[in-house]
Amino acid sequence: MSSPAPKSPEQTDKSKKYDRQLRLWGDHGQNLLENSKVCLINATALGTEILKSLILPGIGSFTIVDGEKVTEEDIGSNFFLESDSIGLSRAQVATQCLLEHNPDVRGDYIDESPEHVMSHTQDFFNKFTVVIATALPEKVLIPLSKYLWESNVPFVVCRSIGFLGYIRLQVKEHTVIEAHPDSENPDLRLLSPWRSLREHLESIDVALLDQKSRSHVPALVILFYYLTKYKELNGGLVPKTRQEKDILRKMIRDSPVADEGSIKLLEENFEEAIRYTNTCLAPPSIPHNVQAILDDDCCKNLTQNSPPFWIMCAALREFVECEETLPIKGSLPDMAADTTSYITLQQLYHRQAELQAEIIYRKASDIARDLGLPMDTITQNEVKMFCKHASELQVIRGSCIADEYERTRLDLSFYLEDPDSLMFYYVILRGLERFISEFNTYPGQFDDQVEPDVLKLKGIIGKLLSEWSCSQVLRDERVHEVCRYGGAEIHSVSAVLGGCAAHEVIKLITHQYKPLDNAFIYDAISSNSATFCL
Amino acid sequence: MNVPLKEAVATSKVLVVGSGGIGCEVLKNLALSGFKDIEIIDLDTIDVSNLNRQFLFRKEHVGKPKAVVARESILSYNPDINIKAYHDSITSQDYGLNFFKRFNIVLNALDNRAARNHVNRMCLAADVPLIESGTSGYSGQVELIKKGVTQCYECQPKPPQKTFPGCTIRNTPSEPVHCIVWAKHLFNQLFGEDDPDQDVSPDTEDPEAKIEGQEHTETESGNIKRASTRQWTQEIKYDPAQLFNKFFKNDIEYLLKMENLWKTRKPPVPLTWEQAASHEGDTAEEENNVKSQDMKVWSLSKCTKIFADTVGVLKEELAGKTFLVWDKDDKPAMDFVTACANIRAHIFTISTKSRFEIKSIAGNIIPAIATANAMIAGLVVLHAFRVLLQDYQKCPSIYLRQKSIHSKFVLAADKQIEQANPKCYVCSPQPFVNVFVNTQTMTVKEFETELLKKSLNMVAPDAILDGKGMVVISSEEGETEVNNDKKLNEIGIVDGSILKCDDFLQNYELTVAINHYEPQEKDDPLYKVVANPDELKAKESINGEKNGSEEKKEEESDEDDLMIVNELEDPQEGSSKRRKLNPPEDKDAEDDDLCVVES
Ligand SMILES: [Zn+2]
Repeated sequence: MSSPAPKSPEQTDKSKKYDRQLRLWGDHGQNLLENSKVCLINATALGTEILKSLILPGIGSFTIVDGEKVTEEDIGSNFFLESDSIGLSRAQVATQCLLEHNPDVRGDYIDESPEHVMSHTQDFFNKFTVVIATALPEKVLIPLSKYLWESNVPFVVCRSIGFLGYIRLQVKEHTVIEAHPDSENPDLRLLSPWRSLREHLESIDVALLDQKSRSHVPALVILFYYLTKYKELNGGLVPKTRQEKDILRKMIRDSPVADEGSIKLLEENFEEAIRYTNTCLAPPSIPHNVQAILDDDCCKNLTQNSPPFWIMCAALREFVECEETLPIKGSLPDMAADTTSYITLQQLYHRQAELQAEIIYRKASDIARDLGLPMDTITQNEVKMFCKHASELQVIRGSCIADEYERTRLDLSFYLEDPDSLMFYYVILRGLERFISEFNTYPGQFDDQVEPDVLKLKGIIGKLLSEWSCSQVLRDERVHEVCRYGGAEIHSVSAVLGGCAAHEVIKLITHQYKPLDNAFIYDAISSNSATFCL
Repeated sequence: MNVPLKEAVATSKVLVVGSGGIGCEVLKNLALSGFKDIEIIDLDTIDVSNLNRQFLFRKEHVGKPKAVVARESILSYNPDINIKAYHDSITSQDYGLNFFKRFNIVLNALDNRAARNHVNRMCLAADVPLIESGTSGYSGQVELIKKGVTQCYECQPKPPQKTFPGCTIRNTPSEPVHCIVWAKHLFNQLFGEDDPDQDVSPDTEDPEAKIEGQEHTETESGNIKRASTRQWTQEIKYDPAQLFNKFFKNDIEYLLKMENLWKTRKPPVPLTWEQAASHEGDTAEEENNVKSQDMKVWSLSKCTKIFADTVGVLKEELAGKTFLVWDKDDKPAMDFVTACANIRAHIFTISTKSRFEIKSIAGNIIPAIATANAMIAGLVVLHAFRVLLQDYQKCPSIYLRQKSIHSKFVLAADKQIEQANPKCYVCSPQPFVNVFVNTQTMTVKEFETELLKKSLNMVAPDAILDGKGMVVISSEEGETEVNNDKKLNEIGIVDGSILKCDDFLQNYELTVAINHYEPQEKDDPLYKVVANPDELKAKESINGEKNGSEEKKEEESDEDDLMIVNELEDPQEGSSKRRKLNPPEDKDAEDDDLCVVES
C-alpha cells in the first residue's frame, strides 16, 4: 500500500489551528465541516453569533441572505456590524466582518429579502448543507420549511427576543454513524470466538505458566481460560446470573500461584480478568435502534437515490442475516500485559474487524453496482468507520414546521397542565409570530403602543389556544413581559442561544452526536431550558 | 432591560480574569450590554491553537499578549468603552485587596485551579461577588460565589491533581503516562532548564530497591551525575547513538541490577542503538494508511530515527540559547517526546501510543470549542446582571451538558443556590485544616512549598507555632531562612502541633493541625490535607478501591475520558449531592503540567 501523501504546509497549519476541536470530532468530522455550505437568513445579533461559532471551527463557506439595512439598534446588539455602517446592507457588512475571523472560510451575501430570493431564484436554498433562519416571518417560514423538507436540507429556525430564546430543528431524515454513546463495553466476543482467536486463546494454559509469565498474560486469556473451565464443570453453560458469575470470579481469584515461596498477591491482570466478568460475558446482541434501522423500508427498498448510509445498512443487513451478529469493533482496551502478547491479541481483533469490514464493503459495492451507481459511491474507509460504529447507528426523522403551523390541532395540553412549563413560551412565540404577520411590527415595539399591543396579543393567543382545543389560560404577566421586550434582542441571550444553535448545526454537518429533537426553549430570567418534540 | 439594570450596568466596574476562550466571549458580551468600565488581566500570549475559538485574535496576533489584543479588538468595535488591560499574573502581589475592592463584580475565565483558588480568596476577602466559569469540550459550568450567601470555590474538596512518585517515573513505569512524563523530563535534561526534580536516571534511593543489610554503592556505569548530564551531552556533541545507549541501554542495565524491583514485575529489556534502528516495523499498524501520521503508532525503528533527527534539530535550536522551553505545539519537541516515550514503553513492555494521544497526555490538552464557550460566556453575563441588582437567589449554578445521546436538557440550572460548607477551610469563620505529614523527614521549606503553597494555595504565607508563639515560616525575606533545611520535628512541629498560618495578600488566616503520618504503601500520597475530619473515613475507603478500572481510565485519558470525568447527572433528579465529586475542572485549560513528586 502506498504511504499517505505528505501534508502540505497549509494543512499542517490547519491541524494546529483546529487541534483542540479535532479531539472532539476527528479529521473526518473536520473534513465534513470544511466541505459544508451554510446559509444564514437575516444577520441579526443571533444570526451572526451562530455564524461566528461556525466560522471559527472552519465551515467551508457561508451565504447571508438579508434584505435589511443596518440600523442603530442593530449596532447596539450585534458585534459583527461596524458603528459607521448604518444604512448599508446588513448582509454585506456582516459578511465582511465575519470573514475576518477565519481566512479559510469563504463568504458571500445576497442583499435581498428571503421572500424575494425564494420567488426569483429557483432552487437557491437546496444547494446548502444546512439553512439557518432568525427572525423569519411566518409567511416566509412556512413555504421555505416545506421546500427544505422536500429537498431534505436541514433547517434550523431560531428566535431571540428579550430574555426568551427558541430553537427548532427540522430534519426530514438525518443519519448518525458516530453517536458517541456515554459509555461503551469492550466488544470481545469471548462467548463465541472466531477460529483464529479461539485457537490462540486455547494455546495458552494459564495454570501452567511460571510466575513471571503469569503476571504478563493478558486478562482476556485468563478470563477465557477460566470460562472454559467453568463450562466444562457446568455442562457447557456460560455463567449468566450474579451467583454464577461469582463462581467464575472465585475460580479466577483462587487461581493457583506457581511460586509457592512468595506471598500470594493477586496480580493486576487477574484483577482485570475479574472485572471483565461484569461486562464481557453478555452474548452479543443487536441493539433495538440498529435492528429497527435494518428493518426500515429505506434499508429494504433501495433506489438509485439511496444515500450511502442506507446502502451500507443494506450490506450490514445481509451480513447480520448470515452471521447473526454485528461486525466486531476491532479495538482492544488497554490491559496489563507484555507488549508481544498484547499486540498478538490486538492484531487478531484488528484483522477480524478488517475482514468483516471487507465483506461488508464488497456487499455494499455489489449493491451499489446492481443499482447502477458508480464504483466510488461507497469507499472502503467509510465502510470501516460504519462497521466500527455499527452498534451506535441512529436515524432521526423529524417533523415539518409547515405541518406544525398548518395543523389545526396541536396537542399541547399535556405540557400545559404544568403551570411552570416552558411550553407557555412556545404558545407566546406562536402568538408573537401571528401578531407580526398581522400588524407588521413587534408587539410593544413603540412605547405608546404597549398596552394596546398586550390586548391584541392576548386575543391572538386566545384564538390560537382555542384552535388547538387547549383549555388552559396563559398568565397575563407572561404576555406583558414579551410585549415589554418590544422585539429587542439582548445580546447575552443571543450569545447563549447562538452557541446552542451553532452546536446543533455542527452535529448535523458532521453526522456525529444525536441532534436536538426537535425544539428548545430557553428562559433567561429563570435560567431554565426545556426540550419539546413538536 | 429595565432602567435600574441599565443604570447598574452603566456605572459598574468589572474585572475579567483571563482572556482566553471564555474571556473573549465575556468581553464581547459586556461591551454589548452597556458596561463602560472594564479591566482585563491575562498572563498568556496568543497561540495558533487559540484561533478556533478565541475570536478577538487573528493569525497576525500570534505571540502577542492576549489581554492587550483583546482590549484593542473590543475598542475597535466600540471606542467609547474604558478598558484597561494587564499582561500579568493575577496572583502577583500587585493585585492585592485594594485592587479587588475597586470592582463591583469579578468574572473568572481562568484555566487553572491555583489561580481560581486565589481569586476565590481575594473576592471573599474583598467581599466582591465572583462569577466562576469553565468549559471542557462540550461541558461547562457557571456559578456565583458571594461571601455569606453561596458556597465558595473551595467549599467542596476537589480531586487531587495527578502526581506520580519520582521512582515510578525513573525506575518502574507501568503505564504510558509514566513514560511520557519521563520523556518530557529527558527533554529538559538535554535541552531545557535544569530542574533537579526532573531527573531521568535510575533512582537508587527507591525504598523498594533497598536490600536489607546491604547498602547500595554507586557504580560507574549506572549514573552520570545529574549536574553533569548536560555537560556530558555537550561533550559527546549530542551524538544520538551515544545518548540512546546511555538512556535506553546502560541506565536500563543498571536498573536490572536493583533486583528487588523485578521480583513481581516484568524486568525491562535494555535496547541498543543498533537493535532499535534495525528493528522491524510493526506492519499491521504501518500499512494502515487511513489515519494521518499523527494518529499512527510509530514503529520502534521510526521512533529511533525520529529520536536521532530531533536531537539534531533541537541541538541547533539550542545553539546560542541557555535552554529551550518544551512546548507541545513545537514540532521537534513534541516529536522527541513521542519517540522517547514510545522507546521507553517498548523497553518496559507498556503499550505505545500515537503522537496525537501522547500530545493529549503530555500537554494535558482539554478539548475546546467555540460553541460551548459562547454559551457559558452568555450565561456569565446574564448572571452578572442579576448580581448587580443583588438578586443573588436567582443565580443558581448552571451546567451545560452536550454529550448525552438523549438530546435533552442541554442547560440545567440548580434548583437553588448552594450553601457554604460550614467546615470549609477557606470561607468558614475560623478556617481549620488537618494535615498529615511525616514530621521526621519533611523539611520546613518542603512544608512551605508543598503544603502551604501548592496544596493550600497560599501565595506568601507566614506560620506561627501556636503555644510557643514562634515564627517558623515568614514571608519577609531572610527572616526564617535558617529553618529551611530543618526537619519539622527539629523545630518543634510534631504530631498534635498547631500552626497559625496567615497569608497577608489573600487576607487569609488558617489554623493547621499537624498529624504525624508515614506512607505505608508505595502508592500512598506523601502527605494529605483533610478539611473535615469526617472525610478521613470516606477517603480511606476510596483508597481501598484504588487500582480500580476508573482510576486507570483517568490516567490514560484520551479526549473521551476527559469528557466522561465531567459528565453531569440528570438535572431532573435535582438533589444537591450530585456533581460535587466531579466538578468540571480546569476548563478551557491546557497547560497545567503533569506533576511529579519525589519519593
Ligand atoms: Zn468555602
